[in-house]
Amino acid sequence: MADSTNKDVEKNVSRRDLLKVGAAILGATGLTQFFSLNSLQVRGKEIPDEGGRKWGMLIDINKCIGCNYCTYACQAVNNLADDMLYNVVTAEETQSGEEYFLSRPCMQCAEAPCVHVCPVEATYYRPDGIVEMNYDRCIGCRYCQVACPYGARVFNWKDPIELSPKSPDFGVAEVENRPRGVVEKCHFCSHRIDRGLEYGLTPGVDREATPACVVVCPTGARVFGDLNDVESPVSKAREEAIVTLRLREELSTEPRVYYIPPTTKKTGPFAGEGES
Amino acid sequence: MLPDIHCPTIKLGKRSIVVFPYWIGLLILGLLFGLVGAFIVLRDGLHVTGLSNAIPWGLWISIDLSAIAMGGSAFVFGVIVYILRIKRFEAIGKLAVLLGFLGYSTAGMVLLFDLGRPLRFWHPVVYWQPHSLLWEVTMCVVLYLSVLMAELLPIVLEHPLFKTHPWLTRYKALGSLMERAHSFAHSLHKAGPVLAVAGLTLSLLHQASLGATYSVLAGRGIWFNQSAPVQFVFSAMSGGIALLFITSVFVFRVMRPGTVSDSAIYDVARLTGGITLLLTYLRVWDWAVTNYYSFDREVFLQTQILDTIAPYSLTFWLGQALLPVIAGSVLLAAKSIKNFRYLMLAAVIPILAAIITRWNYNFAGLIASISYDPFTPGIILNSYTPTWVEFSVGTLVICYWLLAFSLAARYLPFSSGHDHH
Repeated sequence: MADSTNKDVEKNVSRRDLLKVGAAILGATGLTQFFSLNSLQVRGKEIPDEGGRKWGMLIDINKCIGCNYCTYACQAVNNLADDMLYNVVTAEETQSGEEYFLSRPCMQCAEAPCVHVCPVEATYYRPDGIVEMNYDRCIGCRYCQVACPYGARVFNWKDPIELSPKSPDFGVAEVENRPRGVVEKCHFCSHRIDRGLEYGLTPGVDREATPACVVVCPTGARVFGDLNDVESPVSKAREEAIVTLRLREELSTEPRVYYIPPTTKKTGPFAGEGES
Repeated sequence: MLPDIHCPTIKLGKRSIVVFPYWIGLLILGLLFGLVGAFIVLRDGLHVTGLSNAIPWGLWISIDLSAIAMGGSAFVFGVIVYILRIKRFEAIGKLAVLLGFLGYSTAGMVLLFDLGRPLRFWHPVVYWQPHSLLWEVTMCVVLYLSVLMAELLPIVLEHPLFKTHPWLTRYKALGSLMERAHSFAHSLHKAGPVLAVAGLTLSLLHQASLGATYSVLAGRGIWFNQSAPVQFVFSAMSGGIALLFITSVFVFRVMRPGTVSDSAIYDVARLTGGITLLLTYLRVWDWAVTNYYSFDREVFLQTQILDTIAPYSLTFWLGQALLPVIAGSVLLAAKSIKNFRYLMLAAVIPILAAIITRWNYNFAGLIASISYDPFTPGIILNSYTPTWVEFSVGTLVICYWLLAFSLAARYLPFSSGHDHH
């Protein structure tokens, strides 16, 4: 008799306990809902440039011949091994099956996923809009690589090389070597822009102040300059172009690299070829 | 005093052999093999791994996520023991704290190898970037590991070694040091409820954020998901408590019979059963939302590709839906089944499901990633095969976990906490 009452008591207690635990779990679920994804995706703040400049690039796909010189010049200037590519040129197709070359530097997004996710603020917006790396701070977690929708970031898997195989044919090293184990990226040759401005040059117009990939392009497919200045080469080219597009615009990353889509071959380097 | 501890034995002919020393020897061999890989990766850098720019997170991150999930019982039982004050779970709560500590320290260890600059592991603590989920995860893990250490220290110090060893009287300095340690441990023990609340908050924050780490990345299609944070929390609870159930049976029923009532252990099983069912319910709705109610071309293509190269849907329907429903129901009915062998077998499934969830989540968006070309965007198929160095470091951390657990199961005084009160 006494045994059965004991059993009952134990049963009741355990049911109450389970209720308590259940309430705790529900409370816990509620807590997780406080931190909605939207509130966690707060944007990093941008400090305006004193001159109000925002550097941007325009790439005319009609003019690109896929020679890869932009990639090589980039590798020479940044002293990169052959398997390290800040800039990539790929052969792609339009819906109608027409082949074209797509060259892709870093998009220098105004809402860069890599800046939002970096746990140590090693990648940040410069006041002029360039997304740059602080290589002394990077811990090499590679979250930015995972976050970048353009695959624009490269990890330094190996020790840096002494001299790029593309040097001196396509230029000489202009920036310090990065240590092994950090994530690197295209920085619109910000060292050239900064030096150029010091000497009163205009990036996009004067070769010494313009990114190496723009300077080396044999067909002038790349145009560079201040997007906020209507007189800059990039603004003028954007004005002249009938249509421009940006890559993966649906993600709202607001890239500062624009493309002129392959509309007609008449403006390209092989214009009129095979027509007569 | 310590109760009698029964170590498992196996019978070979007429001899019965205590497994413990051989098991420890095996684990030490595993550790040595792991240390070779660890040395190579620290010396040569990450190019010795199979990782690439396309797949920068691989085996180690999956181990890291799984290890953190396996510590998921610590915060639940911190609340049960310290806040709800359910006394019969006290010993199980101590085991949960141990599992939490082991899970998190394993995760921290494997992450250290995964960093490109391991010596800068402390940077997130100093250079704050509160917008980053990974920053939040790092801070929570660092703080939570401290909480777990504060919870574990009093348990370790209860060992008679730190109370009655002859050296404590022979060497005065050592004795007074131990006395101070004991009074510190006592105040830590008194602060239990505070630690439990801190542990609960930190755990929920970062278990959820580990899911959000992936799910905020809009550019990856299949990862972009609203419910991943909740799923990660529940699957850590379900897998973590299932592991706690299996280890409880081992530590309390096999090695220390009589210290914990069977009904308390059954309750642990029922708890994980309930959570597993709840998680599966959420997961199936999540599947419906991503695959059925909101058709997305990219996600569809990604799923299709993942199914052709890997059993992506199969592992979902089998490992995350069907088997957990069966296992969850079995565990929920623990008090009617009353068979520890069947229940332990069932408890393996929530653990595997938690690991499959994390494995699939990590690789889905990387293996099948969306291309950026503007006119004919498609899915790029990447491949990744871990190298032996990665397996070696994986062995290192898993052997560390097993070794620390085995030693703790053998020597830690789980049941003698009452003399404090």
